[in-house]
Amino acid sequence: MGTQVPEDAIARPLRQALLDCAAGRMSGVLRVTGHPSGTIHFREGRIIAAETPGAPGLEVILLRSKRLDESGWDAAFAAAAASGSEMRDELVARDLVGVGELQALLRAAVADAVFAMAFGVVDSCRAEPRAVGPLVTLDPGAKAEWLLIETWRRIQLLGSFPDPAGHARVRVVTVPGAMRPGLVLGGGRDELVALSDGRRTPRDLAFALGRGVYATMLQLSRMQADGLILTISGSAASSAEAANGGRPPAPEDGQRTADGLPRRRKDLAGQPGRADGRELPSAFRLLRLRYGEGTTPGGTR
Amino acid sequence: MSNLDESLREILAVDGARVAALVDIATGMVVSSVGDEGPDFAAAAASVADEARAARTMLGPSCPGGDLDEITLITTDRIHLARVLSTRPGDGMVLFVDLDRSRINFALASLRVGQMAQAVLA
Repeated sequence: MGTQVPEDAIARPLRQALLDCAAGRMSGVLRVTGHPSGTIHFREGRIIAAETPGAPGLEVILLRSKRLDESGWDAAFAAAAASGSEMRDELVARDLVGVGELQALLRAAVADAVFAMAFGVVDSCRAEPRAVGPLVTLDPGAKAEWLLIETWRRIQLLGSFPDPAGHARVRVVTVPGAMRPGLVLGGGRDELVALSDGRRTPRDLAFALGRGVYATMLQLSRMQADGLILTISGSAASSAEAANGGRPPAPEDGQRTADGLPRRRKDLAGQPGRADGRELPSAFRLLRLRYGEGTTPGGTR
Repeated sequence: MSNLDESLREILAVDGARVAALVDIATGMVVSSVGDEGPDFAAAAASVADEARAARTMLGPSCPGGDLDEITLITTDRIHLARVLSTRPGDGMVLFVDLDRSRINFALASLRVGQMAQAVLA
């Protein structure tokens, strides 16, 4: 993999900061501001974790894809917190996920997070050389150069579609009449079609299904080329209702009041004010699952 | 060295193996690779992922003959084995092995790779 990434191929401050942190064998964090922003964790110049609201992290991927159930994750988390051991080791020791599989998933999640930042708008990068421990780390970490080459490959491939379904603000809607009752597409496309209601962005779909954001964008771009879905800009999203037979998309939980309006659930407002210590972790998980990594109690994302 | 690399190195020890790699089907990303990859390996690996997708399309969504298990590509000099490892989440991964055709017994190599494949993600 000796291919060099052209200097202006990836947001220049991000590219330079990644290479600088690697060259300086930094241990610490690189804070990226932009849309989406994020944090890239380094250990001795290698990337061991990356978090951004633009791409689902390991917890979202494992839980939303139903690879793990919440009780399994919570038990591993509690044990890791109590004993001071690595979350990674707890997940493996409890036979929840294989060592090789976890490494593969973590590597994919790191590449996805860096791609999400590079594909968006990077305003600035600031290195903070101090050790901060992310929850789950990749060991051995990924090389910055490898990540840049992989990110460049992804950007090029998405760019090869005439109208890539990738941009953060586009919303995705199923083409009216493209799906016949009983038709099964396979390959993970049926779930995307079902959730493409004109209100969700590719990022929303990735979070909802626990898939990588790049994998989702690529799949959507192919589906768009096949005439299965359309992308619409945010301002045109209301036209999705026309595409949906004049009805707004059904609420996710399907609960309605007597008036036929979607029923609002108290616990979704991010106000676990009366929640006790047992409910809090799951309340904040709900926020993370909905809005991404880096969502903190009372904070901004 | 990671466990993933260790598993791949064991596969590389199969007589005639030149490269062993784990490739993510959904993204075409090389998760890990060992051996003599060459400069264009990332592009080649992405093509392996495309082959797996194309094969699945050919098999159809209901897979009446069973799920995709392995793709074999034979040239005059080489044999490429792409063994599908199912994962959830995602479309799965491919264990890709590039073998020197003149040095291997194809059936035996395929059997050996198949035996070691499940241990890669374990």
